[in-house]
Amino acid sequence: MPEWVIQWFSYFVVVYSTLVISSYIAMAVLAFLEHRKHYTYHDDAYTIGELKKSPYTPGVSIVAPAYNEEKTVITNVKSLLSLDYPDFEVVIVNDGSKDRTLELLIENFDLVKVPYAYVEKIKTKPFKGLYKTKSDNPAFKRLTVVDKVNGGTKADASNAGVNVVSNKFFVCTDVDCVLEKNALYRMIWPTMASTRRVIAVSATMRMSNGSIVEDGKMVETHPPHDMIPLFQDLEYTRSFLIGKTALSRINAMQNVSGGFGMFDREVVIKAGGYDGDSFAEDMDMVARMIRYCCDAGEEYRVVQIPETCCWTEGPPNFKVLNRQRTRWGRGLFQFFTVHRDMLFNRNYRQYGMLTLPYILIFELTAPVIEFLGYLMVLGLLVEWAINWSTIWIAFVGLYIFAQLLTVVIISYDLWVGTSFKDRKDYLWFVLASLLEPFFYHPINVYFSLRGYVKQILGTQMVWGNMTRKGVQSAAKPANADKKQSPPGEAGATAAADAATSVAAIKSAVEEEKKEEKTDA
Amino acid sequence: MDYYVLSRYAYWKYYFLILYYRLAEYPPAIRVWVIFGAISLVLIVAIVIGNLARSVRTVADARGVEHNYKQYWDKMKEIALEPRTLEPLEISAALELPKNFKMHEYTHRRYVPMLIDMYRQFGEQMNKINWQRMLQVLKMPIYFEEQVRSRNTRKRIVAFKNVADMDANLKEAVASRYLFAKDRKLQNNARLHAARFGTSYPFKVLLEDPNLVFTDEMVVKFHNVLVYRQQNGMSMPNFIHWCNRTPINEELRIFAINEIRLFHRREDCAEMLSMLINSRDERFSCALIKALGAMEYVPAEKEFCRRYLSASYTERQELAEALGAINSGNPKVLQFLEDDFMQTTDYVTRMMLLRVIHNYGTIGQEAYQRLKEDAPKEFAIYFEHIECDLIDSRRYA
Repeated sequence: MPEWVIQWFSYFVVVYSTLVISSYIAMAVLAFLEHRKHYTYHDDAYTIGELKKSPYTPGVSIVAPAYNEEKTVITNVKSLLSLDYPDFEVVIVNDGSKDRTLELLIENFDLVKVPYAYVEKIKTKPFKGLYKTKSDNPAFKRLTVVDKVNGGTKADASNAGVNVVSNKFFVCTDVDCVLEKNALYRMIWPTMASTRRVIAVSATMRMSNGSIVEDGKMVETHPPHDMIPLFQDLEYTRSFLIGKTALSRINAMQNVSGGFGMFDREVVIKAGGYDGDSFAEDMDMVARMIRYCCDAGEEYRVVQIPETCCWTEGPPNFKVLNRQRTRWGRGLFQFFTVHRDMLFNRNYRQYGMLTLPYILIFELTAPVIEFLGYLMVLGLLVEWAINWSTIWIAFVGLYIFAQLLTVVIISYDLWVGTSFKDRKDYLWFVLASLLEPFFYHPINVYFSLRGYVKQILGTQMVWGNMTRKGVQSAAKPANADKKQSPPGEAGATAAADAATSVAAIKSAVEEEKKEEKTDA
Repeated sequence: MDYYVLSRYAYWKYYFLILYYRLAEYPPAIRVWVIFGAISLVLIVAIVIGNLARSVRTVADARGVEHNYKQYWDKMKEIALEPRTLEPLEISAALELPKNFKMHEYTHRRYVPMLIDMYRQFGEQMNKINWQRMLQVLKMPIYFEEQVRSRNTRKRIVAFKNVADMDANLKEAVASRYLFAKDRKLQNNARLHAARFGTSYPFKVLLEDPNLVFTDEMVVKFHNVLVYRQQNGMSMPNFIHWCNRTPINEELRIFAINEIRLFHRREDCAEMLSMLINSRDERFSCALIKALGAMEYVPAEKEFCRRYLSASYTERQELAEALGAINSGNPKVLQFLEDDFMQTTDYVTRMMLLRVIHNYGTIGQEAYQRLKEDAPKEFAIYFEHIECDLIDSRRYA
């Protein structure tokens, strides 16, 4: 390898790493200020009490698309209907399911097809019908089921839901998500407390894999004890409690998660709804809402609230993780090709001048740079040209910094109001943080790059189903049958997992290729 | 080595110098990196210690609250629900408090969740005098005063909220210090407190503040305060006067009109109608129309019909809703609605008009049937939609 390549790449890496670390520190500080503000001024119980009594509390609609969800749909719809809020409706969109999703809904909630005058405010695949309950149960009366032809994407189903919601704000979620009982109060509050128009609200999402869920309600919260969901839980927590909270403080939020987010219906319709062709439809939606507001010269805010409001089942294995991360990588790449005109464009305020450059430099290009870094290290190893006395210092420093970030998110989580009742559960986070740089991170880099390549080559994307274990009405977590091993033992298991991980990834990629061929 | 060399300071110095000279061999970037790593390590230790301390405190507080529940809940409930008014000494004896019972922050903050819980559960049934006396005996007012006087903003705000949550007593003078505080949230909490418990005219501050920011959050909280005042027989403001004062915040004007509607002040309708005739602001007009409609003020019908033709899209919908709400059975109004239904091309307006006509008494039903018979086939779904009881008819509002 030529000397000058190594020299210049080294300089580049030093500058890039400094920028990345500086951005992390800046975000941690901004997040600290936001959490402090929240802690000082917000009182959950008082807020809920005030909203409960008031006739001014706005109504909220919940839109949850369902595609082949027969395993979980009834429990989860019951969970949605049991939320605590004075005025809300639940709109389930059956996106042409091939299984018994619709039949089960009709049987369990005593639904009948009603003559509904459907108006397509946002273009979707054909609407087939709308179902309402004939039962006298007041909770069931909140339920609306929309049946439509399969659109192939969550975006299309969500748009059909948006077409029938009746409230100013709607929450978009997945039917498998478990919501906190008070989630809607928490979500609506920022729209009322802000002096500017709040167009979207995001809340912290966590993994439900290790928790105990009964009748669709969260009974006990624990971190996942399988390594892949555990890594993802840590990643989510870091993203929500540091990244998004910091960006929310300066009104530069890049994304409101498709799993759980609240939107202003009017702005969504004017922005054209979710884009069915996008692989990152949630990010694209927020970008288009901001574009609409900026073009119309309207003031707007996109807010992140730190409390955990939603629990979702994370990918349990490499196959699903691969599919999810490849899609995210592809979506990110596609997002930049679609919205490139917003980049460094002053008309789009913080979003154009700060958020998009940040995503471009630190999220889109990061996997490429990391990959080049791995190649460089391999090349230097081959030539035996590594300066070992320096590299270990660099590595240890970076490792300590990664642990610092984990400790910071744990303290933020404790500050916000602990997600885990048992403080010992945080040891799992520490364990995940210790192992993450070796196993999870390189795998994610690979999946992201795979997504970029697929997007560049224009490979047809398969919208596979997320394999779900299904939340049973059991008082045990999904893995409670196994004796739950302490973090130390789990570390050994994780190492063993990692040893088989290459084979697992290989098989996951091969399986996906097979699926693509079948689909074609 | 002698004893002096092995002393603690020398040890530290010795290792520091070793590190220093070892690092001196490296380039500056690595030296900076090492310092950064060392700072990160120190921060990790500090944050972990902080978290542990916080956890210990939280656990101790939780145990304290639990202990208080066990020891005092039944006794306090008995006192609060006792129809006979008890003397403070009797209450103190019933609670078995020591004679020299003093206020301590760490003990009193553990009473607060229990007292709030009790007030939420039994607030409406309890003997208010006994409750207030019990709070006095427990020295809660002194505790809240201390909290409001503290330098910590969170403590101040939480104290104001707790006072409201348990209907405690806090001197007006203490709260009034913050009515114009720099911190808007603190200011709002003080104002809400003053509005809740004030005995003179506590709303004056809203009308006289030129920098007032009246968000939806304040709308919700102020309405709850007004409901509390009405329930407790305290003086209520004259909302219509709020609208006529200058300078007045636009949001406050709209709030006042909405409050007239919610408290059903029919005596203000005539003045509201004259306001509507002169109003040019869409949001204010909509609030007036909604209020007049909700209070079924028949003389407003004429103005509604006059206004309708030149009104904006949103205002038109409010006017149609209001005409439907008044439901006076006036055939002229019905004819007006029918004509507009025939002319309009917007489906939302059409659906709403159809619903208003459908609900407009017997003559409305007749007109509805007539429209249904005359309507083209593609409109059939609208009629079926309106007639279906299972669909929330507000869906198109």
